[in-house]
Amino acid sequence: MEIVAKEGKLKNGTIVTIRPMVKGDADALVKFFKSLPDDLLLFVRHNVRDESVVRSWAENLDYKRVFPLLAIVENKIVADVTLHRVPFGWKRHLGKVRIVVSPEYQKLGLATLMLNEIVDLAAEFGLEKLWAEVPLDSRGAIAAFRNAGFSCKAVIEDLIKDKEGRNADILIMICDVAAHYDQ
Amino acid sequence: MKIAIISDIHSNIEALHAVLRKIDKEKVDVIVNLGDIVGYNASPDECVTEIRKCEAISVSGNHDSAVHDLTARESFNVFANQAIRWSHFKLSKENKDFLKKLPLLSIVWDRFIACHGTLKSNDSYIVKPFQARRMFNIMRKEYQRINICFFGHTHRQAVWSRDVRGKVKQLKLNENPIHLNPEEMYLINPGSVGQPRQNDWRASFLTFEPEEAKITFYSVPYDLYKAQQKILKAELPSFLAERLAEGV
Repeated sequence: MEIVAKEGKLKNGTIVTIRPMVKGDADALVKFFKSLPDDLLLFVRHNVRDESVVRSWAENLDYKRVFPLLAIVENKIVADVTLHRVPFGWKRHLGKVRIVVSPEYQKLGLATLMLNEIVDLAAEFGLEKLWAEVPLDSRGAIAAFRNAGFSCKAVIEDLIKDKEGRNADILIMICDVAAHYDQ
Repeated sequence: MKIAIISDIHSNIEALHAVLRKIDKEKVDVIVNLGDIVGYNASPDECVTEIRKCEAISVSGNHDSAVHDLTARESFNVFANQAIRWSHFKLSKENKDFLKKLPLLSIVWDRFIACHGTLKSNDSYIVKPFQARRMFNIMRKEYQRINICFFGHTHRQAVWSRDVRGKVKQLKLNENPIHLNPEEMYLINPGSVGQPRQNDWRASFLTFEPEEAKITFYSVPYDLYKAQQKILKAELPSFLAERLAEGV
Protein backbone atom coordinates (compact mmCIF):
# COMPACT_ATOMS: atom_id res chain seq x y z
CA MET A 1 0.00 0.00 0.00
CA GLU A 2 2.62 2.52 -1.06
CA ILE A 3 0.57 5.10 -2.93
CA VAL A 4 -2.47 6.55 -1.22
CA ALA A 5 -5.31 6.86 -3.72
CA LYS A 6 -9.05 6.81 -4.18
CA GLU A 7 -11.37 6.85 -7.15
CA GLY A 8 -13.99 9.34 -8.25
CA LYS A 9 -16.52 9.41 -11.07
CA LEU A 10 -17.06 12.34 -13.43
CA LYS A 11 -20.37 13.45 -14.96
CA ASN A 12 -19.62 11.52 -18.18
CA GLY A 13 -18.86 8.33 -16.26
CA THR A 14 -15.06 8.60 -16.50
CA ILE A 15 -13.31 7.14 -13.47
CA VAL A 16 -10.47 9.28 -12.13
CA THR A 17 -7.86 8.33 -9.59
CA ILE A 18 -7.20 11.01 -7.02
CA ARG A 19 -4.00 10.89 -5.04
CA PRO A 20 -1.24 13.05 -3.59
CA MET A 21 1.68 13.75 -5.90
CA VAL A 22 4.74 11.55 -5.36
CA LYS A 23 8.33 11.86 -6.64
CA GLY A 24 7.68 9.54 -9.58
CA ASP A 25 5.06 11.92 -11.00
CA ALA A 26 7.61 14.40 -12.39
CA ASP A 27 7.44 13.21 -16.04
CA ALA A 28 3.65 13.02 -16.10
CA LEU A 29 3.37 16.45 -14.52
CA VAL A 30 5.78 17.96 -17.05
CA LYS A 31 3.60 16.50 -19.82
CA PHE A 32 0.44 17.82 -18.16
CA PHE A 33 1.71 21.38 -17.93
CA LYS A 34 3.10 21.28 -21.48
CA SER A 35 -0.33 20.24 -22.76
CA LEU A 36 -2.11 23.24 -21.21
CA PRO A 37 -2.98 26.38 -23.20
CA ASP A 38 -1.21 29.65 -22.37
CA ASP A 39 -4.28 31.29 -20.83
CA LEU A 40 -4.59 28.52 -18.21
CA LEU A 41 -0.95 28.80 -17.23
CA LEU A 42 -1.40 32.49 -16.59
CA PHE A 43 -2.78 31.61 -13.16
CA VAL A 44 0.23 29.51 -12.20
CA ARG A 45 2.92 31.38 -10.32
CA HIS A 46 5.90 29.54 -11.81
CA ASN A 47 7.13 28.84 -15.30
CA VAL A 48 5.89 25.25 -15.37
CA ARG A 49 6.91 24.80 -19.00
CA ASP A 50 10.46 24.76 -17.63
CA GLU A 51 10.96 21.07 -16.82
CA SER A 52 13.52 21.82 -14.12
CA VAL A 53 10.87 23.74 -12.13
CA VAL A 54 8.47 20.80 -12.11
CA ARG A 55 11.22 18.26 -11.41
CA SER A 56 12.42 20.33 -8.49
CA TRP A 57 8.87 20.27 -7.04
CA ALA A 58 8.81 16.49 -7.32
CA GLU A 59 12.26 16.17 -5.75
CA ASN A 60 11.49 18.47 -2.83
CA LEU A 61 7.98 17.42 -1.92
CA ASP A 62 7.00 18.67 1.51
CA TYR A 63 3.32 18.01 2.21
CA LYS A 64 3.42 20.26 5.26
CA ARG A 65 4.28 23.25 3.07
CA VAL A 66 2.49 22.44 -0.20
CA PHE A 67 0.14 19.51 -0.55
CA PRO A 68 -0.34 18.64 -4.25
CA LEU A 69 -3.25 16.42 -5.22
CA LEU A 70 -3.47 14.94 -8.72
CA ALA A 71 -6.34 13.57 -10.81
CA ILE A 72 -5.25 10.79 -13.13
CA VAL A 73 -7.05 9.13 -16.04
CA GLU A 74 -5.33 6.24 -17.78
CA ASN A 75 -1.90 7.19 -16.39
CA LYS A 76 -2.31 10.78 -17.57
CA ILE A 77 -2.55 13.71 -15.15
CA VAL A 78 -5.69 15.69 -15.93
CA ALA A 79 -5.85 18.07 -12.96
CA ASP A 80 -3.62 19.41 -10.23
CA VAL A 81 -4.81 21.11 -7.07
CA THR A 82 -2.40 22.42 -4.47
CA LEU A 83 -2.94 23.40 -0.86
CA HIS A 84 -0.36 25.92 0.33
CA ARG A 85 0.23 26.27 4.04
CA VAL A 86 1.99 28.77 6.28
CA PRO A 87 3.68 26.98 9.20
CA PHE A 88 3.84 29.89 11.65
CA GLY A 89 2.22 33.21 12.48
CA TRP A 90 -1.22 34.67 12.14
CA LYS A 91 -2.04 32.71 8.99
CA ARG A 92 -1.06 29.29 10.33
CA HIS A 93 -4.71 28.16 10.34
CA LEU A 94 -5.21 29.18 6.69
CA GLY A 95 -4.57 27.33 3.46
CA LYS A 96 -4.37 28.78 -0.02
CA VAL A 97 -5.84 26.67 -2.81
CA ARG A 98 -4.85 26.68 -6.49
CA ILE A 99 -6.28 24.41 -9.16
CA VAL A 100 -5.53 23.67 -12.81
CA VAL A 101 -7.78 21.35 -14.82
CA SER A 102 -7.02 20.16 -18.33
CA PRO A 103 -9.49 21.80 -20.80
CA GLU A 104 -10.81 18.45 -22.02
CA TYR A 105 -11.82 17.57 -18.43
CA GLN A 106 -13.50 20.86 -17.60
CA LYS A 107 -17.28 21.05 -17.04
CA LEU A 108 -17.32 17.40 -15.93
CA GLY A 109 -17.34 18.06 -12.19
CA LEU A 110 -13.63 17.28 -11.82
CA ALA A 111 -12.73 20.63 -10.26
CA THR A 112 -15.52 20.26 -7.70
CA LEU A 113 -14.43 16.69 -6.95
CA MET A 114 -10.83 17.78 -6.39
CA LEU A 115 -11.79 20.83 -4.34
CA ASN A 116 -14.11 18.78 -2.12
CA GLU A 117 -11.21 16.44 -1.48
CA ILE A 118 -8.85 19.29 -0.64
CA VAL A 119 -11.40 20.83 1.77
CA ASP A 120 -11.70 17.46 3.51
CA LEU A 121 -7.92 17.17 3.69
CA ALA A 122 -7.66 20.72 5.03
CA ALA A 123 -9.88 19.63 7.92
CA GLU A 124 -7.53 16.68 8.48
CA PHE A 125 -4.56 19.04 8.57
CA GLY A 126 -6.29 21.19 11.19
CA LEU A 127 -6.80 24.17 8.88
CA GLU A 128 -9.79 26.38 9.62
CA LYS A 129 -10.18 28.45 6.48
CA LEU A 130 -9.18 28.18 2.86
CA TRP A 131 -8.43 31.07 0.58
CA ALA A 132 -8.65 31.11 -3.22
CA GLU A 133 -8.10 33.83 -5.79
CA VAL A 134 -10.10 33.46 -8.99
CA PRO A 135 -10.26 35.81 -12.00
CA LEU A 136 -13.71 37.39 -11.89
CA ASP A 137 -14.56 36.28 -15.42
CA SER A 138 -13.76 32.58 -14.77
CA ARG A 139 -17.34 31.52 -14.25
CA GLY A 140 -16.56 27.82 -14.33
CA ALA A 141 -13.89 28.10 -11.67
CA ILE A 142 -16.11 30.26 -9.46
CA ALA A 143 -18.91 27.70 -9.75
CA ALA A 144 -16.54 24.86 -8.82
CA PHE A 145 -15.24 26.70 -5.76
CA ARG A 146 -18.79 27.55 -4.70
CA ASN A 147 -19.85 23.92 -5.09
CA ALA A 148 -16.99 22.96 -2.78
CA GLY A 149 -18.16 25.35 -0.06
CA PHE A 150 -16.24 28.52 -0.90
CA SER A 151 -18.07 31.84 -0.84
CA CYS A 152 -17.27 35.13 -2.54
CA LYS A 153 -15.75 37.62 -0.11
CA ALA A 154 -14.19 40.46 -2.10
CA VAL A 155 -13.45 41.70 -5.56
CA ILE A 156 -10.24 43.60 -6.12
CA GLU A 157 -10.50 45.59 -9.32
CA ASP A 158 -7.71 45.71 -11.88
CA LEU A 159 -5.36 43.70 -9.70
CA ILE A 160 -4.09 41.12 -12.18
CA LYS A 161 -2.94 41.27 -15.77
CA ASP A 162 -4.09 38.99 -18.57
CA LYS A 163 -1.69 37.75 -21.24
CA GLU A 164 -2.26 40.84 -23.35
CA GLY A 165 -1.25 43.02 -20.40
CA ARG A 166 -4.74 44.27 -19.66
CA ASN A 167 -5.74 44.66 -16.04
CA ALA A 168 -8.46 42.36 -14.74
CA ASP A 169 -10.46 41.89 -11.56
CA ILE A 170 -9.82 39.15 -9.05
CA LEU A 171 -12.31 37.49 -6.74
CA ILE A 172 -11.28 36.38 -3.25
CA MET A 173 -13.15 33.26 -2.14
CA ILE A 174 -13.05 31.74 1.34
CA CYS A 175 -14.13 28.35 2.64
CA ASP A 176 -14.90 27.99 6.33
CA VAL A 177 -13.71 24.40 6.70
CA ALA A 178 -15.60 23.62 9.90
CA ALA A 179 -18.88 25.09 8.69
CA HIS A 180 -18.50 23.23 5.41
CA TYR A 181 -19.12 19.99 7.25
CA ASP A 182 -22.34 21.21 8.75
CA GLN A 183 -25.24 18.95 7.83
CA MET B 1 -20.43 7.21 40.64
CA LYS B 2 -17.59 8.03 38.27
CA ILE B 3 -17.94 7.64 34.51
CA ALA B 4 -15.07 7.83 32.04
CA ILE B 5 -15.98 9.35 28.69
CA ILE B 6 -13.62 8.37 25.88
CA SER B 7 -13.83 9.03 22.15
CA ASP B 8 -12.02 8.69 18.83
CA ILE B 9 -9.64 5.87 19.76
CA HIS B 10 -8.90 5.38 16.06
CA SER B 11 -7.03 2.08 16.27
CA ASN B 12 -4.35 3.46 18.59
CA ILE B 13 -3.96 0.64 21.11
CA GLU B 14 -0.96 2.26 22.81
CA ALA B 15 -3.04 5.35 23.60
CA LEU B 16 -6.05 3.24 24.62
CA HIS B 17 -3.99 1.14 27.03
CA ALA B 18 -2.53 4.28 28.63
CA VAL B 19 -6.01 5.75 29.04
CA LEU B 20 -7.42 2.51 30.48
CA ARG B 21 -4.59 2.39 33.02
CA LYS B 22 -5.42 5.94 34.11
CA ILE B 23 -9.13 5.10 34.22
CA ASP B 24 -8.30 2.17 36.46
CA LYS B 25 -6.33 4.41 38.81
CA GLU B 26 -9.20 6.89 38.95
CA LYS B 27 -11.54 4.10 40.10
CA VAL B 28 -14.08 4.64 37.37
CA ASP B 29 -17.30 2.61 37.49
CA VAL B 30 -18.35 2.73 33.85
CA ILE B 31 -16.73 3.65 30.52
CA VAL B 32 -18.71 5.38 27.80
CA ASN B 33 -17.14 5.31 24.34
CA LEU B 34 -18.33 7.95 21.88
CA GLY B 35 -17.28 6.12 18.74
CA ASP B 36 -14.59 5.87 16.07
CA ILE B 37 -12.81 2.93 17.65
CA VAL B 38 -11.19 2.24 14.27
CA GLY B 39 -9.64 4.21 11.38
CA TYR B 40 -6.34 6.03 10.77
CA ASN B 41 -3.96 4.02 13.00
CA ALA B 42 -2.65 0.48 12.93
CA SER B 43 -4.39 -1.57 15.65
CA PRO B 44 -8.10 -1.72 14.76
CA ASP B 45 -8.79 -5.28 15.87
CA GLU B 46 -6.95 -4.90 19.19
CA CYS B 47 -8.87 -1.71 20.01
CA VAL B 48 -12.29 -3.20 19.28
CA THR B 49 -11.40 -6.29 21.34
CA GLU B 50 -10.27 -4.09 24.24
CA ILE B 51 -13.45 -2.00 24.15
CA ARG B 52 -15.56 -5.15 24.12
CA LYS B 53 -13.53 -6.53 27.02
CA CYS B 54 -14.08 -3.50 29.23
CA GLU B 55 -17.81 -3.54 28.41
CA ALA B 56 -17.91 0.13 27.53
CA ILE B 57 -21.25 1.64 26.57
CA SER B 58 -20.51 2.47 22.95
CA VAL B 59 -21.99 4.41 20.06
CA SER B 60 -21.00 4.29 16.42
CA GLY B 61 -18.60 6.77 14.84
CA ASN B 62 -18.41 7.52 11.13
CA HIS B 63 -15.25 5.38 10.78
CA ASP B 64 -16.95 2.50 12.60
CA SER B 65 -19.87 2.76 10.13
CA ALA B 66 -17.52 2.98 7.16
CA VAL B 67 -16.04 -0.45 7.92
CA HIS B 68 -19.19 -1.99 6.50
CA ASP B 69 -20.65 0.93 4.54
CA LEU B 70 -18.91 1.36 1.19
CA THR B 71 -20.77 4.57 0.35
CA ALA B 72 -19.66 6.23 3.58
CA ARG B 73 -16.10 5.09 2.93
CA GLU B 74 -16.03 6.66 -0.53
CA SER B 75 -16.82 10.05 0.97
CA PHE B 76 -13.65 9.85 3.10
CA ASN B 77 -10.52 11.72 2.01
CA VAL B 78 -7.60 9.76 0.54
CA PHE B 79 -5.86 9.14 3.88
CA ALA B 80 -8.95 8.15 5.85
CA ASN B 81 -10.18 6.07 2.93
CA GLN B 82 -6.91 4.15 2.71
CA ALA B 83 -6.83 3.50 6.44
CA ILE B 84 -10.42 2.27 6.66
CA ARG B 85 -9.97 -0.10 3.70
CA TRP B 86 -6.91 -1.49 5.47
CA SER B 87 -8.85 -1.78 8.75
CA HIS B 88 -11.58 -3.73 6.98
CA PHE B 89 -9.09 -6.50 6.22
CA LYS B 90 -7.56 -6.47 9.69
CA LEU B 91 -10.77 -6.75 11.70
CA SER B 92 -12.10 -10.14 12.76
CA LYS B 93 -15.66 -11.03 11.78
CA GLU B 94 -16.83 -10.78 15.42
CA ASN B 95 -15.35 -7.32 15.78
CA LYS B 96 -16.85 -6.17 12.47
CA ASP B 97 -20.24 -7.45 13.64
CA PHE B 98 -19.79 -5.60 16.92
CA LEU B 99 -19.13 -2.34 15.05
CA LYS B 100 -22.11 -2.91 12.79
CA LYS B 101 -24.48 -3.24 15.73
CA LEU B 102 -23.43 -0.05 17.50
CA PRO B 103 -26.23 2.54 17.88
CA LEU B 104 -25.88 6.10 16.60
CA LEU B 105 -26.65 7.50 20.02
CA SER B 106 -27.30 6.24 23.51
CA ILE B 107 -29.29 7.74 26.36
CA VAL B 108 -27.43 6.63 29.46
CA TRP B 109 -29.57 6.09 32.59
CA ASP B 110 -31.80 8.98 31.53
CA ARG B 111 -28.96 11.25 32.72
CA PHE B 112 -27.06 12.14 29.58
CA ILE B 113 -26.80 11.49 25.86
CA ALA B 114 -23.76 9.92 24.20
CA CYS B 115 -23.24 10.47 20.46
CA HIS B 116 -20.33 10.71 18.05
CA GLY B 117 -20.82 13.75 15.80
CA THR B 118 -24.18 15.28 16.61
CA LEU B 119 -27.57 14.03 17.73
CA LYS B 120 -28.58 13.58 14.10
CA SER B 121 -25.49 12.20 12.39
CA ASN B 122 -22.19 10.58 13.25
CA ASP B 123 -20.51 12.54 10.46
CA SER B 124 -21.34 16.14 11.30
CA TYR B 125 -19.53 18.43 13.68
CA ILE B 126 -20.14 20.77 16.60
CA VAL B 127 -17.46 23.44 16.28
CA LYS B 128 -19.40 26.63 15.61
CA PRO B 129 -21.90 28.43 17.87
CA PHE B 130 -24.74 27.92 15.36
CA GLN B 131 -24.08 24.18 15.39
CA ALA B 132 -24.11 24.07 19.20
CA ARG B 133 -27.27 26.18 19.29
CA ARG B 134 -28.95 23.77 16.89
CA MET B 135 -28.02 20.79 19.08
CA PHE B 136 -29.36 22.48 22.20
CA ASN B 137 -32.65 23.14 20.37
CA ILE B 138 -32.90 19.45 19.43
CA MET B 139 -32.18 18.45 23.02
CA ARG B 140 -34.89 20.78 24.31
CA LYS B 141 -37.45 19.45 21.85
CA GLU B 142 -36.64 15.75 21.79
CA TYR B 143 -34.84 14.98 25.05
CA GLN B 144 -36.51 17.32 27.52
CA ARG B 145 -35.33 15.62 30.71
CA ILE B 146 -31.68 15.61 29.72
CA ASN B 147 -29.31 18.56 29.96
CA ILE B 148 -25.96 16.97 29.07
CA CYS B 149 -24.78 15.51 25.78
CA PHE B 150 -21.29 14.09 25.31
CA PHE B 151 -20.01 14.13 21.74
CA GLY B 152 -16.73 13.49 19.90
CA HIS B 153 -15.65 13.57 16.24
CA THR B 154 -13.70 16.87 16.34
CA HIS B 155 -10.82 15.35 18.35
CA ARG B 156 -10.74 18.48 20.51
CA GLN B 157 -11.83 18.96 24.09
CA ALA B 158 -14.75 21.38 24.32
CA VAL B 159 -17.57 22.44 26.60
CA TRP B 160 -20.54 24.37 25.22
CA SER B 161 -23.18 25.72 27.57
CA ARG B 162 -26.67 27.13 27.18
CA ASP B 163 -27.90 29.19 30.09
CA VAL B 164 -31.53 29.68 31.18
CA ARG B 165 -31.82 32.78 28.99
CA GLY B 166 -30.79 30.73 25.95
CA LYS B 167 -27.31 32.21 25.60
CA VAL B 168 -24.91 29.70 24.05
CA LYS B 169 -21.17 29.94 24.64
CA GLN B 170 -18.05 27.82 24.48
CA LEU B 171 -16.33 27.70 27.86
CA LYS B 172 -12.63 28.40 28.17
CA LEU B 173 -11.04 25.30 29.61
CA ASN B 174 -8.83 27.14 32.09
CA GLU B 175 -10.25 25.38 35.10
CA ASN B 176 -10.10 21.67 35.66
CA PRO B 177 -12.32 20.14 37.03
CA ILE B 178 -15.35 22.03 35.76
CA HIS B 179 -18.48 22.19 37.92
CA LEU B 180 -21.64 22.09 35.83
CA ASN B 181 -24.66 24.20 36.69
CA PRO B 182 -27.71 21.87 36.89
CA GLU B 183 -29.90 24.63 35.45
CA GLU B 184 -27.82 24.92 32.30
CA MET B 185 -27.46 22.62 29.31
CA TYR B 186 -24.10 21.27 28.14
CA LEU B 187 -22.45 19.75 25.07
CA ILE B 188 -19.15 18.23 26.15
CA ASN B 189 -16.33 16.76 24.07
CA PRO B 190 -13.63 14.71 25.85
CA GLY B 191 -11.12 15.06 22.97
CA SER B 192 -9.54 12.08 21.27
CA VAL B 193 -7.77 9.07 22.75
CA GLY B 194 -5.94 7.98 19.61
CA GLN B 195 -5.53 11.06 17.43
CA PRO B 196 -5.80 14.30 19.42
CA ARG B 197 -5.95 17.45 17.29
CA GLN B 198 -5.34 20.21 19.81
CA ASN B 199 -1.59 20.56 19.35
CA ASP B 200 -0.95 18.16 22.23
CA TRP B 201 -0.03 14.59 21.34
CA ARG B 202 -1.24 13.09 24.62
CA ALA B 203 -4.38 10.94 24.74
CA SER B 204 -7.44 12.85 25.98
CA PHE B 205 -10.49 11.74 27.90
CA LEU B 206 -12.64 12.97 30.78
CA THR B 207 -14.42 11.70 33.85
CA PHE B 208 -17.97 12.69 34.78
CA GLU B 209 -19.31 12.50 38.31
CA PRO B 210 -23.08 13.04 38.00
CA GLU B 211 -23.80 13.43 41.74
CA GLU B 212 -21.34 16.31 41.99
CA ALA B 213 -22.09 17.57 38.46
CA LYS B 214 -18.35 17.60 37.84
CA ILE B 215 -16.22 16.85 34.79
CA THR B 216 -12.44 16.46 34.82
CA PHE B 217 -10.29 16.43 31.69
CA TYR B 218 -7.18 14.26 31.45
CA SER B 219 -4.26 14.19 29.00
CA VAL B 220 -2.24 11.00 29.23
CA PRO B 221 1.19 10.28 27.69
CA TYR B 222 1.54 7.00 25.81
CA ASP B 223 4.10 5.11 23.72
CA LEU B 224 3.89 7.40 20.70
CA TYR B 225 6.95 5.95 18.97
CA LYS B 226 5.51 2.44 19.03
CA ALA B 227 2.19 3.65 17.60
CA GLN B 228 4.02 5.51 14.82
CA GLN B 229 6.23 2.54 13.97
CA LYS B 230 3.18 0.31 13.64
CA ILE B 231 1.63 2.75 11.15
CA LEU B 232 4.78 2.81 9.05
CA LYS B 233 5.19 -0.97 9.22
CA ALA B 234 1.60 -1.40 8.06
CA GLU B 235 2.44 0.88 5.10
CA LEU B 236 -0.36 3.22 6.01
CA PRO B 237 0.29 6.85 4.92
CA SER B 238 3.30 8.22 6.82
CA PHE B 239 1.37 11.45 7.36
CA LEU B 240 -0.80 9.51 9.84
CA ALA B 241 2.29 8.72 11.92
CA GLU B 242 3.67 12.27 11.74
CA ARG B 243 0.43 13.90 12.78
CA LEU B 244 0.30 11.89 16.03
CA ALA B 245 3.46 13.61 17.26
CA GLU B 246 2.15 17.03 16.34
CA GLY B 247 -1.31 16.54 17.80
CA VAL B 248 -3.06 17.59 14.60
